Amino acid sequence: MTITTTLIDESPWAVRPQGVQHPLTRTRHDDIVSLPRAVRSEWIKMTSIRSNPTILASSVVIGLLLSWIIATFVRTDPDTHEVFTVAQTFIFSTWLSTVLAAITGTLMFTSEVQHGTLSAVVTAQPARWVTVVAKAAIAAGFGLAMGVLAMIGGFSGATLSGLDMGDTSGMAATALRGLMVASVAAVLGLGVGMIIRHSSAAVSTLLVWALVLENIVRTVAPPTTSRFLPFSAADHLLGIKSASDTAATAVVALSRVQDAFLYIGYAAAALVIGTVLLYRRDTN
Amino acid sequence: MITVSGLTKQYGKRTAVDDMTFEVAAGRVTGFVGPNGAGKSTTMRMMVGLTRPDRGSVRYHGVEYTDLPRPARIVGSVLDARCMHPGRTARNHLRAIAALSGVPGRRVDDVLDEVGLDSAADQRAGGFSLGMRQRLALAGALLGEPEVLLLDEPSNGLDPDGIRWLRVWLTDFAAHGGTVFVSSHLIGELAMFADDLVVVGGGKLLASEPVTATLARGDSTVVVHTPHAAELARLLDLSELSADVAGDRVSVQGATTAAVSQIAFDHRIHVVEITETSRSLEDILLDMTGASAEFASA
Repeated sequence: MTITTTLIDESPWAVRPQGVQHPLTRTRHDDIVSLPRAVRSEWIKMTSIRSNPTILASSVVIGLLLSWIIATFVRTDPDTHEVFTVAQTFIFSTWLSTVLAAITGTLMFTSEVQHGTLSAVVTAQPARWVTVVAKAAIAAGFGLAMGVLAMIGGFSGATLSGLDMGDTSGMAATALRGLMVASVAAVLGLGVGMIIRHSSAAVSTLLVWALVLENIVRTVAPPTTSRFLPFSAADHLLGIKSASDTAATAVVALSRVQDAFLYIGYAAAALVIGTVLLYRRDTN
Repeated sequence: MITVSGLTKQYGKRTAVDDMTFEVAAGRVTGFVGPNGAGKSTTMRMMVGLTRPDRGSVRYHGVEYTDLPRPARIVGSVLDARCMHPGRTARNHLRAIAALSGVPGRRVDDVLDEVGLDSAADQRAGGFSLGMRQRLALAGALLGEPEVLLLDEPSNGLDPDGIRWLRVWLTDFAAHGGTVFVSSHLIGELAMFADDLVVVGGGKLLASEPVTATLARGDSTVVVHTPHAAELARLLDLSELSADVAGDRVSVQGATTAAVSQIAFDHRIHVVEITETSRSLEDILLDMTGASAEFASA
């Protein structure tokens, strides 16, 4: 009598068409290895939407226009009565680009919720922190590009309008701070978007906070308190003075390094809270 | 093989899914049916980690979805065909998913071709019909060449040709060892290609069985046309079969044609015509889920 035995591969992956054997469960190593893929996916999303190149282009246009308006119609600093120079003017539009970068960062997440594509993201990558890191990296890169283009526009507009170059010794440091502010703003916006989720609500909250609430707090609260506000720190980093600033404001102002840490801290906190909520909430 | 064990989800005081336990076998198409509000979508969302169950688990070959190293290579899912950015082309939509899933970019063209969207690959999804969106969503699910497909109402928006294509495609997928778990309101459509059914109502599991077993739940009626109706009815009564006479016709419930014709033959009763009518799967399922329907028609 002949007994024939057949070995049946009962492993979960036995029927895979490629015959590829995978480890049974996901490990931290798998998550880390998948990070470049997640970044690539976010890059594809960012570059495949027509509005994003338009926003980038608008950064240049805003820089050009603002510098031209200042050179043509304002001409002198209302505080010092000195004529504006290229070295001063090139950074002015960075604040507006910073706001646009923050809005873009917000929409990077809220549009996923709005269009339901977040479910595809979460099912493709169950390690949600990987997606957050990838989105933050792309948001920071986009903010950086916004800052660079705003400065190119600002510089070009000021130069073409005939302003003198002025003292250029601090330009590089100012430019670096401006790039940091724009880049971190996009990450801060992403964090706000992850917390609020609804596009209109998140963008309105961000704008009302930056343009209205902070100004009210800066007017009402003592400078020892208002110096800790996120956009106050951003203003200080960009060298922008507020109408509510007093002599006491300058006395108690944080150093630029402290401002940088404070500003980055707000963005990091928003991102961490958003990540915790991403894990806790159901994905619709 | 999918194993759903004690799956439970509550929203406030409402229990959307209540201790649901069933298995979905490989190589078969399993239909997931139940009325609106029965907990189908919540269950399917829990099956891919979008909704966190309060209790219970869903395992694919013993591994929970969120623990799968590359889930897209094991499970492909379509839970909402509308989920795509309207400003992104079909190709870019799939490229983004492929990159995140760790699937080679060349698969994008393969799946677009497979679902018949190759000619619309560079069109923006915002201009797609619901049927095209269904096909694109299915293409996304197929990117990782998964062995399991979870589809929620996949024939919504498809034209008759598309529905037939989907039916053939899913049957073929299962025939090659794939696992198909598909929810649908089109019970007649499901009856044409599902092997098994998971029936739910009010968040509870009502049945998990082969379609043939579900069909057996519906009693058939045998109608005999004979000039000797009264005599046949008497003989059927003697055989403990309930018969009703109306003129020259005898109706017998819960009997088979073979049993009734045998009695007539044994007693030399002339039969003009004998027919068997059975209840449709739709009728049977409506009866099964009727008591649990959250939104019933008047």
